[in-house]
Amino acid sequence: MKLLRRDGDEFEFEFAPVEKGLLFHLLGLYPAVPAAHHQLTKGRKIPSQAENQELLNEAVKSHRAENQRAVLALLNDAGRFTGGKEGARAVFQRGEVEWLLQVLNDVRVGHWIAAGSPNLQQEQKLQHDKQALRKVMLMELAGGFEMLFLGAVSGTLQPEADEP
Amino acid sequence: MPTIANPKVKPAIRPVIKPAGGTDSREELDAGYLVVCWDDPVNLMEYVTHVFQTVFGWNRAKAQKHMLQVHNEGKSVLARETLEKAEFYVHQLQKYTLHATLERDKK
Repeated sequence: MKLLRRDGDEFEFEFAPVEKGLLFHLLGLYPAVPAAHHQLTKGRKIPSQAENQELLNEAVKSHRAENQRAVLALLNDAGRFTGGKEGARAVFQRGEVEWLLQVLNDVRVGHWIAAGSPNLQQEQKLQHDKQALRKVMLMELAGGFEMLFLGAVSGTLQPEADEP
Repeated sequence: MPTIANPKVKPAIRPVIKPAGGTDSREELDAGYLVVCWDDPVNLMEYVTHVFQTVFGWNRAKAQKHMLQVHNEGKSVLARETLEKAEFYVHQLQKYTLHATLERDKK
């Protein structure tokens, strides 16, 4: 995946076929974080705590449904990615990149939780747990895409010249 | 038909429905609620910095300072607000899957 062009709040990327496939696979895994993961407070009493937690739960539910609709819209939009076997190009607005970051990070965190919330400095402990390892791999893949999108919006990733 | 063209942070306008007699409005209007972000081993440092910039409108240096505080000290207090505003910020941070909560200031 490479950044081809940055024009204000518009970004054009090129994806190798395998990269596009991986991105779509990751997006299809959304949402991955269990709903109960989102807690308003760590337990100290606040006014109307139960009601406020319920409001947060409703807001999270609504936000997820909206993101899921957007994921499906992207995955089913045949005209969104143009190009042939060499690579597919797509233009995203800044707001769309923000949305992609939220979705990819949900997939990242969700797979980390599903792998047993491992301390990532001690990944060698996972080597005998194939299921957890698979989840950590998906987590890292999501993180890789996040870093590329972050580089595009922050300006640390420079556009690469279009190959002739 | 929804599209993925969402703004960075959507305004969360929602009705606040309170049970009768169950709250102390003075307490809720008090800017004594802390928005706290907690460390975890999964969120990328660059990502956390970006989220702080996006949600609070901070410059990169301030966002990085708080990100490093989360990383090195286990947590960072990002804002001190009324209950409603603190809830808003917590929700925005949780949209990005950061580990954020609101806590009553002890002071």
